Amino acid sequence: MERREFLKRAGAGVGGLTLLAGCTGTGTDETGGGTPTATRSATPDEGGRTATPTGRPTTSAPSGTLNVATYSSFTGEGTAGNWLKSAFEERYPEVTVEFSTPENGVNQFIQRKRQSAPIEADLYVGLNTGELVRVDERLDEPLFATVRDSVEGADTVKEGLRIDPDGRAIPYDTGYISLVYDENEVENPGTFDALLEPRYEGDLITQNAQQSDPGLAFLLWTIIAKGEDGYLDYWSALADNGVRVLSDWEPAYNAYLNGEAPMVVSYSTDQVYYHGEGVDMSRHQVGFLNDQGYANPEAMAAFADSDRTDLARRFMEFVLTPEAQAEIAVRNVQFPAVEGVDPGEEFSKYAYEPPEPVTFTYDDLAGNVGTWVDQWARQIVSG
Amino acid sequence: MGRPVGQTDRLGVVVRAAERLALPAGLALTLAVLAVVFYYPVGSVLVESVVRAGRLTAGPLLSVLSDPFYTGAASSLFAEPGSVPGGFVTWLRAGLPPVTFGLFGFTAYQAALSTVASVLLGSPGAYLLSRFEFRGRRTLRSLTILPFVLPSIMVAVGFLAMFGRNGPLNTALVTLGLGRLDLLFTLEVIVVAHAFYNAPLVTRLVTAAWETVDARRVESARAMGATPFRAFRDVVLPQLLPSLLTAALLTFVFTFMSFPIVLALGGLRLATVEVWLFARVQNLELAEAATLATLETVVTLSLTYLYLRYEARQVRAGSGGAPVPRRPLLDGLRTVRDPARLGLLAYGLLALVVFVGPMASMVLASVTGPDGSLTLEYYRFLVDQQVAETAGTTRPLPAILNSLLFGAGTLLLALPLGVVVSVVATRGGRGSRVAEALLTAPLAVSGVVVGLGLLQTLVFGTTLFGHRLTATGPVAIVLAHAVAAYPFVTRNVTPALGGLDPRLSDAARSLGATRLRALLDVELPLVAAALVAGAAFAFAISVGEFDSTVLLAEGVDSYTMPVALERYIGNRSLGPNLGPATAMGTVLLAVTAASFVVIDRVGGRWEP
Repeated sequence: MERREFLKRAGAGVGGLTLLAGCTGTGTDETGGGTPTATRSATPDEGGRTATPTGRPTTSAPSGTLNVATYSSFTGEGTAGNWLKSAFEERYPEVTVEFSTPENGVNQFIQRKRQSAPIEADLYVGLNTGELVRVDERLDEPLFATVRDSVEGADTVKEGLRIDPDGRAIPYDTGYISLVYDENEVENPGTFDALLEPRYEGDLITQNAQQSDPGLAFLLWTIIAKGEDGYLDYWSALADNGVRVLSDWEPAYNAYLNGEAPMVVSYSTDQVYYHGEGVDMSRHQVGFLNDQGYANPEAMAAFADSDRTDLARRFMEFVLTPEAQAEIAVRNVQFPAVEGVDPGEEFSKYAYEPPEPVTFTYDDLAGNVGTWVDQWARQIVSG
Repeated sequence: MGRPVGQTDRLGVVVRAAERLALPAGLALTLAVLAVVFYYPVGSVLVESVVRAGRLTAGPLLSVLSDPFYTGAASSLFAEPGSVPGGFVTWLRAGLPPVTFGLFGFTAYQAALSTVASVLLGSPGAYLLSRFEFRGRRTLRSLTILPFVLPSIMVAVGFLAMFGRNGPLNTALVTLGLGRLDLLFTLEVIVVAHAFYNAPLVTRLVTAAWETVDARRVESARAMGATPFRAFRDVVLPQLLPSLLTAALLTFVFTFMSFPIVLALGGLRLATVEVWLFARVQNLELAEAATLATLETVVTLSLTYLYLRYEARQVRAGSGGAPVPRRPLLDGLRTVRDPARLGLLAYGLLALVVFVGPMASMVLASVTGPDGSLTLEYYRFLVDQQVAETAGTTRPLPAILNSLLFGAGTLLLALPLGVVVSVVATRGGRGSRVAEALLTAPLAVSGVVVGLGLLQTLVFGTTLFGHRLTATGPVAIVLAHAVAAYPFVTRNVTPALGGLDPRLSDAARSLGATRLRALLDVELPLVAAALVAGAAFAFAISVGEFDSTVLLAEGVDSYTMPVALERYIGNRSLGPNLGPATAMGTVLLAVTAASFVVIDRVGGRWEP
């Protein structure tokens, strides 16, 4: 129950639905070269920010249903998704937000587009960089609309998290991949090289980069640390030192909790979940390697085929407001994507940010990530 | 044969005509359902492996076959056939060093080991259930296939808890001074997990066959002086062999295409072809995925075909009399002096560790908090979900009801589908083995590919006359489940029907009964045990099914128990904790256990 109370306490700090004031930079007006969405002059007003795109007739209070496609743990009782839904619907009483949670995520929409099947969703929430690369590698037609210049607050997203050079995907939160270890069993290795030492033999559990987000992030992190030419040798040594590559986060973390190994690849927000009375925090130590942590930003993007782009844009703007950012951080247990947002004392105390966040950009991954993962997986299997 | 024969009134004529048409019509309907929810969707995926830009090509298949990563030493057969003899000589000269056959080779190897383990672990169970009488025998028989419905993540949880470093098995071994057994992350644990899933298949199929062995034949063998062993070898075993081999075949096919459990317990080092196939699908490299799936299917379908030919060549033993009576399991002092009973006792202990252990561990995990104390928090979570007002909440009760509804629908549809195919199969004729193998294909095609196919065809739909036609929702789910399930009915019923004395139905037909009447009134009652087993499997397949259920569910409300469980894994309201999922897993176990008992009790009324 600790977590419920914690949520209530954290939520109480954010009184009401304050409007996005002072955060509306005029920087949103930079002209997007040749983008179909016209640049708009942000004119926030008291009545609920009915800003109008230039060249379009003034719209009345927005109404209709916004269909948001996302992953299943984003919705349901007490989640960030449901908070966003009620808060957004409260702001725009004529609007209904509906979630759909396709089992195969964004692939569902790539495949629909490839087969010219209809796409009913207006917005996708939960896109990462690798998936965006996949969207572009598998499709010639645009799946998502370029919105960066029309979404107010898009320029407040932290510089290092802006994953999409084309301004379609707007990050709304990020996790950092790190080690979680049991300090009764091992010391924090601290560096990638230390993981190869005999004293860490058989001590690390990670996940299959072919199917798991943290697994892929950890692999990419080793490529940042060891280079494109060195990571396979590094993994060969890691395999010799007994690294376990399990399918996904749940089995891996479960094996860690069962004491099968004293270290697991996970998220630096681990303690936000596990702190509380009577919990042994010695088994929830967060360890960064080389003073880095791999950022895995989650982004949202509006479907190009949607005819409710205005509603989708307003929703994205709302997600980027400081109060929504704080709520998402706490409820989704991820760091805010927007600069200068404080998710509250409790969160900040237990969530660790790496000294140096690292991540591959879209351009780094494009054309490479498939090969990197395939070569890695082949080596693990053959090795 | 209650109906008077030779009736000439008009109603009688109509009824007879309808009865005559029933089987052909049933077959046509079966084929139509198969075409829509299986062949067309799967074909839409597999075609990509042989068609490039509208032209037939062997390129993709050859590139996989000639890649040493996939086929190891066999790759040179496809890459440079000319080099094979020379390479063989070199290998002989080198003193026959071990040869590996790549990903496909390893996949087949672990499947073969798993099959042997499943047969070894499953057959004593059949011996116990069919030859001995004891309290709770029927219930135990009903519950044998429980492992079948468990989602792999729950099996992983159970195995980790049971066989882990600090699990009860190792605690017991260390206490006994035997030392620790590091089973996790090894090939052994995968084989045991596969046996956990598939030994019940062996037990159930063989039990059904054993229960239809004609007691008179055993008695006459004994009367003619055969020892019990010889009577078993010459009379009983030939009748068990088809079901034993069927079970072995199915186990090999399933474990050849095994996927989530391999990585959850063994790790990527022990990956199978299906792991690669899934990764290709994830990355939307669909042509490569299709190529791997086609090769998998070639392997599984060829084996199925070879097996079916063997089965058809078996001499019909001619069963159909009263079954051999069961002996009491506990028989006073003789119990401890009888080697067979002592063996069964040892087997019981092993079964306790392998089957009951992981399931009990999962149940235990559902009442154990993160700090190891007893808690009902996870069940309170289920209740909270049930009463929650929030949109998008996954509630346990609708999940249970949907599972039962789909399960019952699948059972009712799969039984006639399966029986129709069995009747066609036992009739024989040219090409009927090929036809039967193709009709068994739902068992032999990768689940990942079936899901992908359903998505591309039924879910995405097609445009006809300006309307977008899609086929999703409860009916589509039941159809998809039934297609996945009916081969289990067929595989149970065909050997049993084939074993019947053909004179029985010939006699009925010579008295004027239609083929359908002879089937319903004479043959099926004699193979009721196999029918009930098939029905239980059909229900189990439906309840345990995940992939096509999530794809075909319309909106968010057609979820079943495994789908709810999956969503609770992602639910973070109690922290990243498998507790809520294990609680749902326990509910799943309880609900399906009760259902199996009901199916067996209801079906048991028709058993001889």
